[in-house]
Amino acid sequence: MKSKKIIALALACTLSVGAFAGCAKKKSESISDWTMIAFMAGKELNEGNEIQEELAKKTGVRLKESWNTSQDVASAVGTMIASNDLPDLIDGGNGSKMLAEAGMLVAWDDYLAKDEYKNLKEMFSDKQWELFRQADGHIYWANVFGKTYGEPKSRGHNDEAFWVQVRVLEWAGYPIIETLDEYFDLLDSYAKANPVNADGVEVIPYTALCEGWRYFCVENAPEFLDGYPNDGSVIVNLDDPDNPKIEDYNVTPTAKMYFKKLNEVYNAGIMDPEFATMDYDTYIAKLASGAVLGMCDQNWDFAQINNTFIDKGYKELGYNYVPLGLVAEKGQTKNQWHAYADVPNVSSGIAVTTKCNDADKAFKFLNQMLDQEIHDLRFWGVKDVDYLVDENGLYYRTEEMRANWQNDAFRAKHVCNYSYLPQWGGTHRDGKNAMKPEDQESEFFATLSEPLKKAFDAYGYTSYGDFLRSEHITQLGFWYPMYSHSNDMDSTTDYGAAWLKMGDCKHEWLPVVITSKDFESDWAAYQAAYAECKPELFLAEMQKELDRRAALGK
Amino acid sequence: MSTIEKDAPALKSKLNKAEVKRQRVLLIVAGLYVVYGIIFYYLPLFGWIMAFQNYKLKDGIFGSQFVGFKWFKFLFDDKTFLRDLRNTLGMGVINLVATTVTAIGFAILLSEVRNVMGKKIVQTISYLPHFLSWIVVTSIVRDAFATKGMINELLQGLHIIKEPISYFMHTKYFWPIVAISNVWKETGWNAIIYLATITSIDPSLYEAAAMDGAGRWQKIKHITLPGIRSTIIILLIMNIGNVLNAGFEVQYLLGLGVLKPVSETIDIYVLNYGMANFSLGTAAGIFKTFIAMILIFLFNFIAKRAGEERLF
Amino acid sequence: MFKKLTKSKMSGWDWAFVICNTTFLVLFCCVTLYPVLNTLAYSFTDGSEAILKNVHLVPRKFTTSAYKKIIFEMTGFRQGLIVTVSRTFLASVLSLAANALLAFVISRRNFIFKRSLSLFWVITMYANGGLIPSVILMTKLHLTGTFWVYIIPGLVSAFNILVLRTYMSSLPDSYEESAQLDGAGHMTIFARIISPLCKPVYATVFLFVAVYHWNSWFDAMIYNRLKPQNTTLQYELQKLLSSLTQLNPTADSSGKTANMTTEIQVRAAATIATMLPIICLYPFLQRYFVTGLTIGGVKE
Repeated sequence: MKSKKIIALALACTLSVGAFAGCAKKKSESISDWTMIAFMAGKELNEGNEIQEELAKKTGVRLKESWNTSQDVASAVGTMIASNDLPDLIDGGNGSKMLAEAGMLVAWDDYLAKDEYKNLKEMFSDKQWELFRQADGHIYWANVFGKTYGEPKSRGHNDEAFWVQVRVLEWAGYPIIETLDEYFDLLDSYAKANPVNADGVEVIPYTALCEGWRYFCVENAPEFLDGYPNDGSVIVNLDDPDNPKIEDYNVTPTAKMYFKKLNEVYNAGIMDPEFATMDYDTYIAKLASGAVLGMCDQNWDFAQINNTFIDKGYKELGYNYVPLGLVAEKGQTKNQWHAYADVPNVSSGIAVTTKCNDADKAFKFLNQMLDQEIHDLRFWGVKDVDYLVDENGLYYRTEEMRANWQNDAFRAKHVCNYSYLPQWGGTHRDGKNAMKPEDQESEFFATLSEPLKKAFDAYGYTSYGDFLRSEHITQLGFWYPMYSHSNDMDSTTDYGAAWLKMGDCKHEWLPVVITSKDFESDWAAYQAAYAECKPELFLAEMQKELDRRAALGK
Repeated sequence: MSTIEKDAPALKSKLNKAEVKRQRVLLIVAGLYVVYGIIFYYLPLFGWIMAFQNYKLKDGIFGSQFVGFKWFKFLFDDKTFLRDLRNTLGMGVINLVATTVTAIGFAILLSEVRNVMGKKIVQTISYLPHFLSWIVVTSIVRDAFATKGMINELLQGLHIIKEPISYFMHTKYFWPIVAISNVWKETGWNAIIYLATITSIDPSLYEAAAMDGAGRWQKIKHITLPGIRSTIIILLIMNIGNVLNAGFEVQYLLGLGVLKPVSETIDIYVLNYGMANFSLGTAAGIFKTFIAMILIFLFNFIAKRAGEERLF
Repeated sequence: MFKKLTKSKMSGWDWAFVICNTTFLVLFCCVTLYPVLNTLAYSFTDGSEAILKNVHLVPRKFTTSAYKKIIFEMTGFRQGLIVTVSRTFLASVLSLAANALLAFVISRRNFIFKRSLSLFWVITMYANGGLIPSVILMTKLHLTGTFWVYIIPGLVSAFNILVLRTYMSSLPDSYEESAQLDGAGHMTIFARIISPLCKPVYATVFLFVAVYHWNSWFDAMIYNRLKPQNTTLQYELQKLLSSLTQLNPTADSSGKTANMTTEIQVRAAATIATMLPIICLYPFLQRYFVTGLTIGGVKE
């Protein structure tokens, strides 16, 4: 008797699942409900998100975005191909090539040739589009990030730098810091003079994270110190401009100088003794407590501490970081820490899949995303609700609007920027505003804290990029960035296997070298272990790719 | 349940028509399950073909190029893989011994508690960490073993050490830390099985022993331990098959750069080098299955020889 | 009677043992309870404090925002809950029935294929073909994209069969023999004689299966990635957690946000939310299996 009841209950439960599946919402027929997957972290929107509905009315497409970071991209793409279960749009990340090879993506070529889709065409120059062309002669995706319309407007620096708390600069009378020696001297002398923060926290002059994939914080500075841009895995030497040469930044004299310096400051107690054993959470906790005077990192990697700084009033104490563009030798003008040029990462981007039942409509939708009206709706929001327009036609936000756009709950119900669809940075088509609010001048200065404002004024800088004193190179090499090639590598090729081994070797040895009591012999041992990974296979492949790209650019 | 019936010689099943007819229903049911097992467990093993191919997603399992033992050679020519195999076996065995011993010990100690309420509360609390994810547990372990952490403070307070030890900078502490973490997280959960087995031991045996003047230790030695002996052996055989699954998360989360030489397991190796290379991952999987089966057969045989319980 | 006897006979050594044992168990409880309470404290701590990692047993800057986030901001919370509860319940009942029946067959003393069948299932514990072949199989069987992909593939599992088989083997044969004399068939013996005796072991297997299904999210991701009606609670939690690691606004932008949630804090709340139902279920099952879980093998 009892078991019958249980089974009945179980059946009832199951039926209710079916019932829920069955009761689809009433939706107007002209609007297509499509899905999109990106292999990146992101927040899903609420059902009936206000701007999403508005966009659906204007474009005829309601896009349900899913984010997938719980599984490596290759397995995810593998399972999707195996089950033939694909969304309508996809950003395949490192799996883009596999999707294209498996015939799962729709080619862009025909659409790019038509005038109807000119917004899409406008994203890149003809030559740049060639970089997206795959071995089978077609273009399957377009990267949507790091693209500037008209004049650049950005005042932030979202990338890598040696950072220093602004109070340290203030204490030292706003000096210009150029080299590692100057940098560590500054940190050390400040820490000696002010060993303890106002709330009793002991300062840590310098720390470096070397956990997991985030070990770039300790690993790739040599490439920047020598004045090269972030090609990621290699340096492109332009001594002979017609014959760019791949170089390995792991074995340069600068690399040895840099790690020797780290070893010296570690043994002098300037560097955090726990740096090699801390995980990311511990690192962030240290930064958020205001204890760390300086570190090398990408801005987006630690930006989350900002809320704690505001909450605890650290913002007014000058704990916020500003970036420094250090170079290997004093007086060196070669410096590309801050990129003033666009960086198209050709290895991935937004694509339309063969599962999509109306490819024409999909490309029309992508094209519409770049219409100014739609673009404003995505990034600025609804006029008078999310932003105001002053008498000069400049967009601005009130304190409340700003707070709303930072509030997760508000965003989920109201904001829909389809962050992985085509988009622009830089200047608005009206020539006055910025494409995105974070680049708008008024927005930027409205949120600077007092100590930061003082530093900007003292140096006469107007953007974070100015602190880095980088060269204003607006046209980078056509091959840039080379990491878009190494990102794709795996152990199925011998150069890919070498690349993975090199990473493994650095992971293991760099902390050993930095904490060494006998730097020279450990450095030699490290270099020997590194050479065993056969980096020459990897470098040869990179040279091949560089030559290919350089030829396309001619 | 009485021991006499258990020890009676099993009737040798004879494969004759009458017997088959008598067991008709059982055979039909077993047959259906075999069909199910073949479909859901054995059929996917066709994927093992990938280990002998340069598997490409676009070509599929039936279209990819065959390369023989290339990927197995890749594994065994790689010093890193052999090092990781050693780490996996080392940690696997230490963890197995540590968690088994502590689970049995805990179960016995708990069974000695007479207060039913107390017993239930302790048991409930003890299995809770099983539900915490490794990321939560390792974060606490890391703090506890930090230079200024609890462990160092305790040892300094007790004057066992003078200077704080930087546990995560020295390779020699890593395996014990992993074992301790496992014990901490799983003792209570693993003990459920032993505890239940203990409670199913006939109480009259203890009563009789008490009459004979047996002490607490003697009762444990002569009644409790023999009572759970078969459980211990069966679980050991099953878990020995799992030593190569010594773990992934805990080592991955705790084993930063300097610890790589002792912390990396086969699973981490596969994560690093098997990314987008399904052939290599499959080859490593086949190798693990192969070792597991050898160990299982070996220990099942030993158990049979010793006249103990066995798996099959 | 027995109790009294031991009490009166307790020697000095016994007292020492009881005291040591109690102290040890209390200490052990403290050590195992700490991470749970620590997680609980984090789940009620505001993100701006949690990020500093200085919470122990008491929350700092108390807030329930992490729980609110899970309940209100998680898009698939309601549907995920329905699916998870359904699959947990249905799978526990069906798996139990399926495993019990097979265990009954294998545990029959004179069953012809007793050993080979045991081996057949033992192998399934250690051999698997990998992810992609499984996905291909599920797609060919038309299970991909359905609710049943959660139930059918894991219905029979070797570990549970071995637990059940052992218990059944240990039951006295006399029950079965007398039933056979009365002319009862195998199925009648299974349903009427054996099963009622197996309540404790059934409760245990029920718990194992329920815990597994309550916690699964990987299968939801692999097989129902694009089917929000078949999402599970744990998959939604997983997605929520990974969304928190997304890129944050640049360093000095921002007006102040009222309630900040961070990964640490929501992860803690999600852990507590996951544990809670199992903790509630446990006392009901505990009374069964503290008196009767056993596992063992074929005795020569």
